[in-house]
Amino acid sequence: MIALTGLFLCIFLIVHLSANSILLLPEETARRLYNSYATTLRESPLIKVVSYVLYLSIVLHMMYALRITLANRKAKPQPYLVNKSNENSSWTSQNMGFIGLLILLFLIVHLANFWARIKLGIGDTVGLDASGQKDVYEITYHLFQNIYFVLFYTILMIPLGLHLNHGLKSAFKTLGFYHRKGLRIVAKISLVYALIMAIGFGIIPLIVFLK
Amino acid sequence: MKVTFKIWRQAHSDAKGEFKPYEVNGLTEDMSFLEALDHLNEHLVRSNEKVIAYEYDCREGICGQCGLFINGRAHGPHPHMTTCQLHMRSFKNGDTIIVEPWRAKAFPVIKDLIVDRSAFDRIIEQGGFISAQTGTAAEANSILIGKKVADKAMDAAACIGCGACVATCKNASAALFTSAKINHLNSLPQGHQEANKRAIEMTAQMELEGFGSCTFTGACEVECPERIPITNIAEMNARRTKAKWMG
Repeated sequence: MIALTGLFLCIFLIVHLSANSILLLPEETARRLYNSYATTLRESPLIKVVSYVLYLSIVLHMMYALRITLANRKAKPQPYLVNKSNENSSWTSQNMGFIGLLILLFLIVHLANFWARIKLGIGDTVGLDASGQKDVYEITYHLFQNIYFVLFYTILMIPLGLHLNHGLKSAFKTLGFYHRKGLRIVAKISLVYALIMAIGFGIIPLIVFLK
Repeated sequence: MKVTFKIWRQAHSDAKGEFKPYEVNGLTEDMSFLEALDHLNEHLVRSNEKVIAYEYDCREGICGQCGLFINGRAHGPHPHMTTCQLHMRSFKNGDTIIVEPWRAKAFPVIKDLIVDRSAFDRIIEQGGFISAQTGTAAEANSILIGKKVADKAMDAAACIGCGACVATCKNASAALFTSAKINHLNSLPQGHQEANKRAIEMTAQMELEGFGSCTFTGACEVECPERIPITNIAEMNARRTKAKWMG
């Protein structure tokens, strides 16, 4: 279940990053495209269904991760006095739970910044743009004028990248893909995918800040 | 050569254990690690102290009996090696060497450095065999097996059941052991008849024994003396899924 929901979230991130790249266009075009994209997302009934699958995936991914982590801790009640796990495995693979918690911290702030305000209407009311659509571009642009938010959004993409790199290739193995050469290719794809996601999501707030 | 061993001492399974330091002189670099422990035990006998309990049998890396967690690594500092194949030349004069038993809920300590690995036996009892008529040995060429399949089965069959995979895994998962045993038999024609049952029942027993689940850190395949690759675990997952949904 962790693997399946994880893979779904990986696909979601590709769509999300593609949409974010609109922010890199010249201001007027970016505002128009970004706002109409956001409106489409809010009003399309099909995307509503997908969004519920997304919420469910995030919740299930966390619930199963918590359950499996607790069970695994129970399986190893006594730690070693000395354990040089860095010599036989990557730090990321040993600390997926902790890295996941960092991503959860990011997600909470991220949802409070956008989702809560735009969809739930919590906080300051959202302005309208020239064509009468909710000005999501303005909210994004405004948020990324604050250097602390920019740093938060950029730095927390490092754990995201680490999590994706280990998670993507492991999901394939968990789901039973065992072709040896194929898995080597999957590992390379995971690395490239994780780099694109971490750098892509991380650099956009910086560029918006410097615009 | 002189080293200080810091060794886990525990009188019996319910006793509270602790680390005890032992300074050992007169070792040579050519001694095996187990010989160094033998050397220490001789001293303990002479000074009327209780000897340190640890397991070994063949001392040539093929039986899977020995297994100690040495300086933070299963079977010591080198990859793909059993404890008995480790020599004192891997350490420096004056080193402190920390020796711990395998740690896992499913491997309770019996005494000092000896753990009870019968959980592995109970996994084997659930299907780590084939049901066949006994009698005289069958003609070897009556069942033809391709070289590729034979090699793959042999690679998995190489598992000696030492438990280093469980010991090094942060989740104490027995997935590498169980997958090696399942894939060994399931890839051969003799094992086909019970393939689905084997995949389901051996993995179920693995979970029942209180081993954790695999999160693919990859530590097990580094410490495995027989170089069983972690792709075996992915293959076991595939076999189990197939057995559950299509079996």
